[in-house]
Amino acid sequence: MTTMLDWHAAWQALIHHPLFGVGITLAAFQLSFAAYEKTRWVFLQPVLLSALLVIGVLLLCGLSYADYADSAQLLTVMLGPATVALAVPLYLNLRRIRELFAPIVITLLVAGVTATALGMALAWLFGAERMILMTLAPKSVTSPIAMLVAEQIGGVVALAAVFVMITGVLGAIFGPALLRRCGVRHPAARGMALGLTAHAVGTAQALQESDECGAFAALAMSLMGVMTAVLLPLVVTLLL
Amino acid sequence: MLLRGLTWLVLFQLLGTVLNVLLVPMLPGPIIGLLLLFAALLLRGSASESLQVAASSLLRYLPLLLVPPAVGVMVYTEAILQDFWAIVGVLVISLLLSLVFTGWLMQALIQRQSRRREDA
Repeated sequence: MTTMLDWHAAWQALIHHPLFGVGITLAAFQLSFAAYEKTRWVFLQPVLLSALLVIGVLLLCGLSYADYADSAQLLTVMLGPATVALAVPLYLNLRRIRELFAPIVITLLVAGVTATALGMALAWLFGAERMILMTLAPKSVTSPIAMLVAEQIGGVVALAAVFVMITGVLGAIFGPALLRRCGVRHPAARGMALGLTAHAVGTAQALQESDECGAFAALAMSLMGVMTAVLLPLVVTLLL
Repeated sequence: MLLRGLTWLVLFQLLGTVLNVLLVPMLPGPIIGLLLLFAALLLRGSASESLQVAASSLLRYLPLLLVPPAVGVMVYTEAILQDFWAIVGVLVISLLLSLVFTGWLMQALIQRQSRRREDA
């Protein structure tokens, strides 16, 4: 039986290779992106479709999320520098931002507080318990901040990241068309809306629309993140 | 070119992490890095071409970088399915309302500002 190929060993070597996670993520993303470009169908939003494809592959291969997270680290680790990189479009659009300084500050305060309070109020109406309320509160901000804040105010850290991700994907899927239908056409206003409510996923979507739209989304995302990180724990301790 | 810009981005992220541990535990390292790089660009008065190239190349692939965290949802499928409608209801309704409200408010404020400037 010397000619028999060891398929099992080859398969194991493949799915446990340290680049397997990177490989399937890249392949899933290329496929999703091509499908989205071709159809422009909103439910084929690249982040959502790629994640579903990757989950499918992991289930088929019998791999856990922990296995995947290990072998996709090359991508995860670049998220930090990519966040830092948002400072560049922010800076390049500084003149536009300065011109619109008052609208930005007012929108941030009023809409930022509304977005957070609305989520908590709805969850309370639906009868969610305190723990879920505290997990939902930071859902509009980028996941590292949301996870920190959720922990500080007594929510579930991992579930907070999930709510953040669902919110972001929903924003990217429905945001652009919904804003257009409601007559919001100004790139700065569209960017603010996407970045403030749908954080990085919304910002990635806004960057596809235009530079200006992306810059305002990056601005809204970072300001909303900083405001939530600083104020939400304070407000929760004082009021609830 | 690209590499020099990338070096700065990574260094600012690391600096952010150090400050996160030392001084501001409520802000994550990358966000501190973003604020610092923004402040540095303001002080310097210009963004070098290598930094612009690195930033725009990295940001073009931001959706790709967000896929691994999104896959993390699979760990909580059971918990989510249990309260599926409540969670989806809250997330969908609050997102759609606040998204439209934010865009509408910002646009209304911009229009009011430009009207005032024309009057003045």
